[in-house]
Amino acid sequence: MRALRTAASGMAAQQLNVEVISNNIANMNTVGFKRQRAEFQDLLYQNVERMGAQSSSQGTVVPTGIQIGAGVKAGSVYRVTEQGSPSQTGNRYDVAVDGRGYFQILMPSGETAFTRAGNFSLNGEGQLVTDDGYAVQPNISIPQDAIDVSISKSGQVQVITQGSTEPQVVGQIELATFFNEAGLEAIGDNLLLETAASGPANVGAPGEVGFGELLQGYTEASNVDAVAEISALIIAQRAYEMNSKVITTADQMLSVGAQVKS
Amino acid sequence: MENAAYVGLSRQMTLRRELDIVANNIANADTTGFKVEQLLLGEEVGERARNAFVRPGVSFVMDNGVGRDFGQGALAQTGRTLDFAIEGEGAFFAVKDGAGDAYTRDGAFTLDPEGRLTTQGGAAVQGDAGDIILDPALGQASVAADGTISQNGQLVGRLSVVRFDTLAVLEKSGDGLYRNASNAAPQDANDVQVRQAMLEGSNVNPILEITNLIEIQRAYESVTRMIENTNDLSRRAVERLGRAA
Repeated sequence: MRALRTAASGMAAQQLNVEVISNNIANMNTVGFKRQRAEFQDLLYQNVERMGAQSSSQGTVVPTGIQIGAGVKAGSVYRVTEQGSPSQTGNRYDVAVDGRGYFQILMPSGETAFTRAGNFSLNGEGQLVTDDGYAVQPNISIPQDAIDVSISKSGQVQVITQGSTEPQVVGQIELATFFNEAGLEAIGDNLLLETAASGPANVGAPGEVGFGELLQGYTEASNVDAVAEISALIIAQRAYEMNSKVITTADQMLSVGAQVKS
Repeated sequence: MENAAYVGLSRQMTLRRELDIVANNIANADTTGFKVEQLLLGEEVGERARNAFVRPGVSFVMDNGVGRDFGQGALAQTGRTLDFAIEGEGAFFAVKDGAGDAYTRDGAFTLDPEGRLTTQGGAAVQGDAGDIILDPALGQASVAADGTISQNGQLVGRLSVVRFDTLAVLEKSGDGLYRNASNAAPQDANDVQVRQAMLEGSNVNPILEITNLIEIQRAYESVTRMIENTNDLSRRAVERLGRAA
């Protein structure tokens, strides 16, 4: 019976939906996290009676035909790259991007990863690094005798050193943008990798056309909307229940058929 | 002789098919832009075996086709700039993939590595002048109600939203796509509105589908009982007649 498999595909899809929603809720307070959304599509259709087929020798044709769908599948699970609200932290090495663009991070493997999480700190050599100690690219080193560090909207890092009043430029933070941000591959730890689907990174300074600006002393909160996620969870649960109801009905009909007395 | 059983069987077969369609509707209750379907049934008058005046005719149940309700699904805000919904019935976004032209109500679009606007399945969304290519350097695309796309105040193109004289020419091919099964040409639909950052939900009414499910199950049970009774009747007839002879 096709209905059994169709309903099973519906249950599998809703299960995936719940998994995506639960990951969103779990990451509600993750810096720079972008919520994901499962997008569903109908599966292929079987033409039981093809539309436009001849239905008599007089040339009459079947007007609508009979097409029976085989259920549902997850078309894609994509990131919604909507801006998260900036939240003030007071930490001078926290930087939020207001607009498009990702920070570039040098991985231990030598690859470049991308992130929206700008909660940076300094390592033992005074280098600007992520929570995991991976260096921000291009390298920025803060001298040990720096009293104050300021990061401008356009990404310029300036320090005022002991005994001097003149700010001194020590580096420039650059951002990367992509044609298709949703095509980036998430590898955990707030990091994303470039893929064939995302297209190559386009690097530029913050504030240029097409790039966002930086905000020092802020981090970007996740863009998860708790109320929307909870209502999505309720919808997914009810849809799951309805599909299981179809399975019960199909099963009972099969058993009625099997018990016919001869 | 076995007419009653055959009539019952014809109903059972259509009921099973109805169940398949209801199952597909429920499985797609959360599918973007999905349109609900139902089986259209008709009466098929059977050929009379002997003299037409003596025996009453027998009618079977036949499924004539699948009817689609192209009614508007609920619009939901998504906050994503590349999500689009059509407000207005019977109109579709024109897209193009490897198998040719297709039409869809699922406006959750994305960009490919070259900046081309595509569906999640990779079919290129069609504008008035072919593919639509966005330049991310120019910032967010904004789309007007008539489908005109602009970036940073610059005109990029116009989403092609089309409709057909009769919706029966459309054939579903899965992945939310419809294909034109005739040679009727689509026409520009200028009476509908394109809404940005919104998606159209499916127009499946869950309560109606669950009710259909119950009806199908009960009808199946009663037809099965009728077949059993018919069978019982002929068995008893054979027993009694056998004894008399």
